Amino acid sequence: MGGYQFRWDVIPQNIDFLLSGLQQTLLISAITLSLAMLGGLMIAVMDMSRFAPLRFLALAVGEIIRNTPILVQLLWIYYVLPVAMGINLDSWTALIVGLSIYSSAFIAEAYRAGIQAVPKGHREAAQVLGLSPVQTFIRIVLPQAIRLTLPPLAANFVQLIKYSSLGAVISVGEITRRGMELSSSIFRPLEIFTFIAIIYFLICWPLAMGIRLWERRLSSR
Amino acid sequence: MDASAVGEQPESGLIAARDLSKSFGSVQVLGNVNLAVTEGEVVCVIGPSGSGKTTLLRCFALLEQPTEGVVTLRDRIIAAPQLPTDIRQNAKAARGDIGMVFQHFNLWPHFTVLQNVIEAPVRVKGDAKAAAEANAMRLLEKVGLADKRDQYPSRLSGGQQQRVAIARALAMKPSVMLFDEATSALDPELKHEVLLVMRSLAEEGMTMLVVTHEMGFARNVGSRVVFMDQGRVVEDAEPAAFFASAKTDRAQRFLRQMQD
Repeated sequence: MGGYQFRWDVIPQNIDFLLSGLQQTLLISAITLSLAMLGGLMIAVMDMSRFAPLRFLALAVGEIIRNTPILVQLLWIYYVLPVAMGINLDSWTALIVGLSIYSSAFIAEAYRAGIQAVPKGHREAAQVLGLSPVQTFIRIVLPQAIRLTLPPLAANFVQLIKYSSLGAVISVGEITRRGMELSSSIFRPLEIFTFIAIIYFLICWPLAMGIRLWERRLSSR
Repeated sequence: MDASAVGEQPESGLIAARDLSKSFGSVQVLGNVNLAVTEGEVVCVIGPSGSGKTTLLRCFALLEQPTEGVVTLRDRIIAAPQLPTDIRQNAKAARGDIGMVFQHFNLWPHFTVLQNVIEAPVRVKGDAKAAAEANAMRLLEKVGLADKRDQYPSRLSGGQQQRVAIARALAMKPSVMLFDEATSALDPELKHEVLLVMRSLAEEGMTMLVVTHEMGFARNVGSRVVFMDQGRVVEDAEPAAFFASAKTDRAQRFLRQMQD
């Protein structure tokens, strides 16, 4: 061992600073999830629309987002949008917008999978009994689809908590950024980034386990 | 206004297919089928798989649109290759009047048994919930499942689910009931309880069109047997005559295979 002296006391000394970053991380994740749930619904509806141009647009947006790195998307929104289109977003907004669009594309897939997983026979039974298409969607398809969509939505939330760390690159003051700032002023990166990793793990792991249990319960119904 | 009450029997039966053809792409599944079911009749449709039985039933249920020909209910066209407004309205009015029971039950899993049964009367007919529930309980008693009212379908056996599905269809007070291989997905001992319910319905005078592989049911409960092959009606006869001596080779061969 190289005889490195761990100084864990730097963590409690700076805990307020670090926790303010954690607060930002959770806030950003929650806002982004809400926006992405709406955005995902928009893309899913466009995806299943009868109008070919809308379907094509949704497909194109989805494919571009899913097949480029989120980090590049964030950098693009933060650095290119102002130059290319004169849209100036502060770093916090840029992160929210970028993450929301990114998650929308994945959440749209979750919605679509949920809706398509409802057996056709359930719709036909409703149709034969005289329920209108709108009634059938609201009463029969949606409640089942939502149940199937909740676990992937929760999984997306875990994903967002982790991806929000990318905000550090465009200097959003979430917990990873706070760690970088702290470590460059007190030179204790080992302690700081270990602590931050543990924090992420303690939040994400129980969530992920909970989702796994939840999915198992759903599939056993 | 109930047409039968004043003694008017529609000329083409209660429900009928006239010159009905159905193709999926270039594949013809039904070719020029003529079949009329009069009030109180129990018509059993039998035949090898792929003979078009289910597609015919789905045309009657307005789940498939004919490529040629029409479906009529009390002489009113309810399905045709084109759907002008009047036919659309006829079709809308006919839904619920034509009950359908599916091979795979298709109960709604997020509703309890009772909720499954009252959904359509409440949402479609606008019945008061209390009245719909009372009627539903009467029907559930009839199929022997009153005690399961608050269970979710996944807690029921296949036979029980199918009996609930029958009660759900009956809740709309249909004039005719369509059964699409209602017992095919069930274990032998569960088939029996469903067949009993179907039999008692027939004895009460319900008009029924039954696609089935249950030869015993066709023979003992059916008032007519329709044998289909390759999308066509090959024989249409009294059950006793059909099972004793089918006219066509094709039907005889089919009956022999069913015995093996």
